[in-house]
Amino acid sequence: MADALTTLAPSAPGEPTAVQTWTNEHSSLNEVLTALPELRRRAAGREAGTRTAVMTVVMVSDGSDEAEAAATSVRSIGAHHPCRAIILRPDPDSTPAIDAKACLWRAEPPSSAGHPVFFEELHMRIGGQAAAHLASIVGPFVLADLPVVIWLPGQVPDPADPLLRLASTVVVDTRTVSDLPGSLGHSYRTLLELANHGPVVDLSWVRLQPWRELLAGLFEPEHNRRFLSGVRLATVEGKPGPRHILGGWLMAQLDLRARELVLRDAKHVDIRLDTVSDGEEGTFQVSRDEGARAVWAKASFSSGLSHSQALPLPNDSLTSALAAAVSNLQADRVWEHALSSAAALAA
Amino acid sequence: MSAPVPSDHDDAVAGLATNLLAEGLETVRRAPPGVLVVFGASGDLTHRKLLPALESLSRRRLLPAAFAMIGVARTEMSDDGFRDVMASAVPDAGPGWAEIIKNSVYITGEYAHPDTFDALQRRLRELDESVGTGGNRTYYLATVPDVFGEVAQALGKVGLNQPTEGGTARLVIEKPFGRDRETARQLDSTLHSVFDEDQIYRIDHYLGKETVQNVLALRFANAIFEPLWNRNYIDHVQVTVAETVGVEKRGSFYEKAGALRDIVQNHVMQVLSLTLMEPPGSVDAEGIRGEKVKALRSVVVPEHSAVPNIAVRAQYDSGWVEGNAVPGYRQEEGVSRDSETETYVALKLAVDNWRWAGVPIYVRTGKRLPKRVTEVSLQFKEVPHLAFPKEAARGLHPNALVVRVQPDEGVTLRFGAKVPGQAFVVRDVLMDFSYGAAFLEAPPDAYERLLLDAMAGDPTLFIRSDEVDTAWGIVQPLLEVWADGGAPLAGYGAGSWGPRPADALLERDGRKWRTP
Repeated sequence: MADALTTLAPSAPGEPTAVQTWTNEHSSLNEVLTALPELRRRAAGREAGTRTAVMTVVMVSDGSDEAEAAATSVRSIGAHHPCRAIILRPDPDSTPAIDAKACLWRAEPPSSAGHPVFFEELHMRIGGQAAAHLASIVGPFVLADLPVVIWLPGQVPDPADPLLRLASTVVVDTRTVSDLPGSLGHSYRTLLELANHGPVVDLSWVRLQPWRELLAGLFEPEHNRRFLSGVRLATVEGKPGPRHILGGWLMAQLDLRARELVLRDAKHVDIRLDTVSDGEEGTFQVSRDEGARAVWAKASFSSGLSHSQALPLPNDSLTSALAAAVSNLQADRVWEHALSSAAALAA
Repeated sequence: MSAPVPSDHDDAVAGLATNLLAEGLETVRRAPPGVLVVFGASGDLTHRKLLPALESLSRRRLLPAAFAMIGVARTEMSDDGFRDVMASAVPDAGPGWAEIIKNSVYITGEYAHPDTFDALQRRLRELDESVGTGGNRTYYLATVPDVFGEVAQALGKVGLNQPTEGGTARLVIEKPFGRDRETARQLDSTLHSVFDEDQIYRIDHYLGKETVQNVLALRFANAIFEPLWNRNYIDHVQVTVAETVGVEKRGSFYEKAGALRDIVQNHVMQVLSLTLMEPPGSVDAEGIRGEKVKALRSVVVPEHSAVPNIAVRAQYDSGWVEGNAVPGYRQEEGVSRDSETETYVALKLAVDNWRWAGVPIYVRTGKRLPKRVTEVSLQFKEVPHLAFPKEAARGLHPNALVVRVQPDEGVTLRFGAKVPGQAFVVRDVLMDFSYGAAFLEAPPDAYERLLLDAMAGDPTLFIRSDEVDTAWGIVQPLLEVWADGGAPLAGYGAGSWGPRPADALLERDGRKWRTP
């Protein structure tokens, strides 16, 4: 049974730095619970005596590369949203035991006037039957009175999973749903059921927000708004997840019929609305300029009027999507409507 | 949470009352289509503040596609020349900036000449047609204050003060709003002869600071502070706005202004009104601004005869600040060698209302002080009876709640705690909250926030006419007494916390300034 508490030297600026770590194999939950405040106590001389935290983030890893990337993202958002991050690795086929590693991280402020942020990350490999009872493991580690965000990367969470009862918000990613076994429509319906129990934040929906904002922005001028009721054809290109959710969004918001919507497979997202109003034709398009790493939004009309807007290609990293997602942990009715329509489209 | 329900927007589809694709995206405030017209477009404020703020708004997707800028100034320049200026102001701009630059034009002209405004009218029409800016115009006066009235009236002469059908016309001006109450009223009268009050957006960039707005959040989003926020628990309030810098290149400007006009009449009054105000019925523009004005109206306007007893004016001498030897004020560039302009003000104010009656408000501001800091400190009353022996509580002081506005924005609560050990000894400890430690996100620049609010038509963080007038009313007796030589000008060493008479102002009441 190894138990090691280590004080680490500061590392390079920019990335969070591990200031204290603790590892223990075949640990009891009590030992882990005792170790967490001990990390802070030991680091007190380095300003980490008090905690500022805004949430608990729980991630369940299946050991895949995707889950590893997700764990890295959880750590990165800890610097922006100080949290207790709990990363669980259920391992039901191994010896009943908990191997734990806790780490206290320090992230530097953007300016010299600010304070560093300290946050905790706890990894636990859960062996044996306990792996099927993660809620009982996580419960004691949840920070009181703060939101609990639960994320199961690479899975469509089962709404009946007791772990999810601890969640104030569940994070999902509909971009990866199409890669999972089972039909897209069934997965979407499961997510809708999940949304019946509490707020669900979809990382794919968050990533697609710039496209939605840009398209909506094209209809802000009064002159353009009337074209919303004259959509003859909506074309959405992209990978299965994004194109279905965006197609569902357009259907739900604009009350389109299925024959007015075309979905095409493509590497990048592209949305185009061909519309008509009072005999004038209008085309509204949001597409990606690969060369310039920019997204273009353009409205053009048969009258000759046109306007366009270019914006930097939004950061598509998992970390930035997760950071944006945990900034707003509320239920999103528009997403639910979009998902409902996407489920119908996928069927 | 309820299950997804069928959309209820069928009627809206038919009526097109709303942009249905924007549903759910409203939490982010965006500017509507429109044109930003900047007078003084060749000047320093435009280059240093406005253009970077606009670019940042564009980068954050807060500007619409149908957006354009028109620069107006006396400096001779072509459209392309202005576009080069725009590009050079933000060298590392995103691709959206190029689109805005493409839509932007420049008018060379005198602010009083009708040709300037005829050209402006023509170009606005062209942009409405070619870019789809919808008749929404925001006129930003980044000029010297002397021409505010001139520009407003010239806009009125060609009808640009009137919103076009379905459009808006707004005028943005930045402090100083007059040199005293009389000139402020003259300016208002001129502006109101052309623009309605709800079209005028007066900027005090202090209000654009995230942490000034956080005073509202701290007070009115929490139940634990507000019950204590009154005369029953608070002994006195200290407001400190301290700068380490001197007058730098603004010597000739500062000579005519002084600390009372430059800081107290505006920044201090804004911070003070947010500290003293009653909870608003709603956090909208009129709710907040109405309560701010009520709070300022409760501040007792000093009698002329009382001014020497409640106010201290001073000027810095040479000294050391942040490890550097610095000259005295009279040795600064653009400053008269026998200048009587104050660089430091300390004030004791009283407030006549139920919440604050009997609670003195001490205000100090100055240049060349040891530390750059803006804070509001609520000093609580002592406990009614101290149960411990005196020697056990030597290190104990009354509780204090300090709201740090800048830098290191946050809140500190001072309270007593037992020192660990066999003996019962109590001493002060600080419970410190730093916004930076909870949110590493950098807040938007004040100009960015205020520009967006003006274009979006949200006047909450802008100063209403009666607010300006009331603030001038409070400082007017000081201006008059000081102008008549009715108060000596004290000196203080650069790098100190101010002159001896400022300390005496509190010592007379048995109190002392806190050291931020």
